[in-house]
Amino acid sequence: MKKYFGCVLILTLALFVLVPSVALCQGSIKVGIILPATGEKAKFGEIEKKSFEMALEEINAAGGINGKKLEFLYEDDTGRPDVARSAAEKLLTKDEVVMLGGGYGSSETFAIAGVAQQNRVPFLVNTGSDNKITEMKWDYVFRLNQPVSAYPEALESFMTDVVKPQSVAILYENTNFGSSGSKEFQQSCEKLKLKVVMNEGYQSGGVDFKPLLVQVKQRNPDVVYMISYLMDASLLMKQSMELKLSPKIFVGGGAGFTLPEFVQNADKAANMVYSATLWYQTLPYPGAKEYYDKFVARNNMPTEYHGAEAYSSAYVIADALKRAKSSAPDDVRESLTKTDMMTVFGPVKFVAYDKMTNQNKLPTYLVQWIDGKLELVWPKETAAKPYVYPIDWQKVWK
Amino acid sequence: MKKRSTLIALGLFALFAVFPLVEGSDYYRHIFIIALMWVVIGSSWNLLAGYTGQISFGHAIFFGVGAYSAGICTTKLGISAWWGMLLGGPMAMLSGLFLGWICFRLRGSYFNLATLAIAEVFRLVAIYWRNLTEGMQGILIITTFRSKLPYYFLALGLAALCVFSISWIMKSKWGFYFIAIREDQDAAEALGISSFRYKSLSLMVSSFFTGLAGAFYMNYMGFIDPEVVFSLYFISIMAILVAMIGGAGTIWGPPVGAFIMVLLQELFRSSFFGYAPKWVSDAHALAFGLLVILAIRYMANGVVGDFPKILNLWTRKKPMPSGAGGD
Amino acid sequence: MEMFIQTLVAGILIGGVYALIGLGMTLIMGVMRIINLAHGQLMMVAMYITFVFYEFLGLDPYYCLLIAPPALFLLGAAIQKYLLDPLLKIDSIIPQNQILMTVGIGMVLTETIRFIFHSDYKSVKTSYSSATFMIGSISWNVPMLVAFGLAVLITAGLFFFLLKTDTGKSVRATAQNKDAAMILGINAEWITQLTYGLGAAMAAAGGTLLLPIYYLFPDVGGPFTLKAFIITVLGGMGSTVGAIFGGLVLGVAESLGATYISMALKDAVGMVIFVLVLVFLPGGLKALTKV
Repeated sequence: MKKYFGCVLILTLALFVLVPSVALCQGSIKVGIILPATGEKAKFGEIEKKSFEMALEEINAAGGINGKKLEFLYEDDTGRPDVARSAAEKLLTKDEVVMLGGGYGSSETFAIAGVAQQNRVPFLVNTGSDNKITEMKWDYVFRLNQPVSAYPEALESFMTDVVKPQSVAILYENTNFGSSGSKEFQQSCEKLKLKVVMNEGYQSGGVDFKPLLVQVKQRNPDVVYMISYLMDASLLMKQSMELKLSPKIFVGGGAGFTLPEFVQNADKAANMVYSATLWYQTLPYPGAKEYYDKFVARNNMPTEYHGAEAYSSAYVIADALKRAKSSAPDDVRESLTKTDMMTVFGPVKFVAYDKMTNQNKLPTYLVQWIDGKLELVWPKETAAKPYVYPIDWQKVWK
Repeated sequence: MKKRSTLIALGLFALFAVFPLVEGSDYYRHIFIIALMWVVIGSSWNLLAGYTGQISFGHAIFFGVGAYSAGICTTKLGISAWWGMLLGGPMAMLSGLFLGWICFRLRGSYFNLATLAIAEVFRLVAIYWRNLTEGMQGILIITTFRSKLPYYFLALGLAALCVFSISWIMKSKWGFYFIAIREDQDAAEALGISSFRYKSLSLMVSSFFTGLAGAFYMNYMGFIDPEVVFSLYFISIMAILVAMIGGAGTIWGPPVGAFIMVLLQELFRSSFFGYAPKWVSDAHALAFGLLVILAIRYMANGVVGDFPKILNLWTRKKPMPSGAGGD
Repeated sequence: MEMFIQTLVAGILIGGVYALIGLGMTLIMGVMRIINLAHGQLMMVAMYITFVFYEFLGLDPYYCLLIAPPALFLLGAAIQKYLLDPLLKIDSIIPQNQILMTVGIGMVLTETIRFIFHSDYKSVKTSYSSATFMIGSISWNVPMLVAFGLAVLITAGLFFFLLKTDTGKSVRATAQNKDAAMILGINAEWITQLTYGLGAAMAAAGGTLLLPIYYLFPDVGGPFTLKAFIITVLGGMGSTVGAIFGGLVLGVAESLGATYISMALKDAVGMVIFVLVLVFLPGGLKALTKV
């Protein structure tokens, strides 16, 4: 019994000794960035982190925050909301950051936002897209990117102007991103008086989607809209090809459909597939192309809208901190509300619309895979290449 | 002997009670709260598995049911999630009854796999039944208290209650029946012990406390979704690891295991709170897996179970060969 | 009607792939009564080996069938010898520490691969990946057909091995009663290592055949471990023919469930079947026959 007591005592003492250390870097302004570094979403987290790092270098080289160095403290949420929550708490209480940034997965972003609001520290979301995140009337939560309901906006005008379909089938993965996206798109379709013949969820990571696609084939919709974070997108298209589905168009809801891995895996099944996207490097925003080229040269891998979101977010954070009266959370929050600037992702100004608050309002776009490359095709004014429609799937898939 | 262990227990309780008042950082308090929660889950699992021999791979069922009981209070019933603390236990017990009815007729690996499968079914149903559970969008509530102190003391209270109850049960007649069933179910039956009845009783208590932990989790973390609370690896298998690395079949094993596991995980994930180089955090999952392998290989009875062995290593005494006669 | 047939075909074909993965598991569970929670990860390692040969040597995955399974055989035997066998000798309160060891092994395999290859999604592009031929309006996926055919061949081979060869008979003897087998002069230790290695090799074959029609990332193994269990229990522990039927039943049930109930509950169908079999037909399909 004595042994127990001794051991326990030592353990407890050791724990008491682990008092938080003093801030290692005096005189710098710290911002916490929460991204998935491990887990399924690590790929996106990597692109975002590298973009944050690139922006940070540039910001500090240009004088930082009124002479003081800006520091980003990265935390890995491992793609799980409970870890995201703990990471947020650690950044706020132990590292004492002045604000939070990041937020990739919708569930994780939601959890972090809750923590930020409760602790009254500002949080600038740059990717998490569930509408609910900015519908809670949380005044400390700001969002740079478009909400998931806006993702298919360009698609909607494309459908009205060009395709003129009668029916739509919606396939979505059973995650927050997929569920919320499908719900919003269904509502939009109903507003456009389109018949939604199918709205089905699936477990991501499946090998065989034929049972689902066979039903789609049977109902023969004009538009097939699919939401997938990752590789399900490529299997869905490959198997649609095998079953010889032939809607007027296939459209993806961003994410998995715009990744280079999509075309690597799906090969010719990816050809002519459309996708919603939030950004493209040829958009007329100052610095957009430069960001793209610099990133590719530096990291030897492509970037896309997630990277642009992160890069711009860093600049918005820096701008708000520069204008803030002090680094107290409330002053930073105040400064964020007054944001009105241009970034590579587009103009940033936080307004209230629909049911949302502190939301940046930006259009979305439509891209299409043409011969292995992702091209911006709609709206016409900003298109880099003309869209291909109508599509003869037999020819495309030969 | 009894008095000394009670003294130690009280001493420990006092130490833990004082801890948050000394340690002001919310971050460390949070780690302790999570560890205390795992004391409850691990001890509950231990009661069913370590003492009664029914190795459940599906304890996430009870945790998830408890968490959703609390969450649904807010989303569907419009009342505070704290009512979940009262509902969570009984609801989890109900699911326990269901589990027992299906699975207790099975033995060994079949039982393990059946519990695993049923837990997965619960998880998939929670995802699918959006109307009840909000599906993958999860349930988010605003936590009642900004300070961590109330949660800390609640967790501490739950952990103490759980460990004390289990200790008391194991010293009673039930305890003997449980162990008898674990050692040889058929022999126990032959002696007139209804194995089904006592396995169920063990399961009732085990699921009750785990459900309570789940309800606590909902109220403390403020966010749950099916992947988090019905998770195979992060709840069910974690419960097994906590109890086994601490020492299954002992009272203090799970509590020790809970602290070891929670602290270790966070230590690796945060690169030893920032003191170690970056790659430690990148490789945190790998380090963790290696640790599990080493622990099972060399400390199969857990820290508490193999304590003499560990102590011998420390004091550099040659371990006594088992069965050696004389002194 | 067409929808039903296409769903059925899809189910049968995927069942073939499942069966291969289940074959390995049924061997391991049948002989050693170990719940191998690292099964999916072993498959994953084989897939990475296949990928590396494809990416750097331009080797077609089907040729890799001669490389990956033997490699995994060695890995599996080593795991059994150095990590699992020692546990059998330790007297512990709960014998289930073997299962936890496989959990640890699975984690280490996954994380080591992640360390080397990162979390990127890799694909293998072959000319036949999406090749299909149509019978009427029903589409048949060629790689899956090949996998199905190979699964049947391998099962036949295994069946022959277990029934006719001396080593095979030793494996069955050890499965029935380890102590008796040892008394009769069978080197039980070596047999268990052989069996685990064989099981791993089967999983490797399944993985190699799966790669052209799927994709690859470090966490790919998990769901397949669960499917392997279901097939093992469905078919009957230790029954090779049972594994084939188990795989087919699971594939078809999932397909039909996905079409007629809901795609979102596809995995639940497997789980429910699993529990039903455990409760009502504990010996699996094998119990219905004499094989």
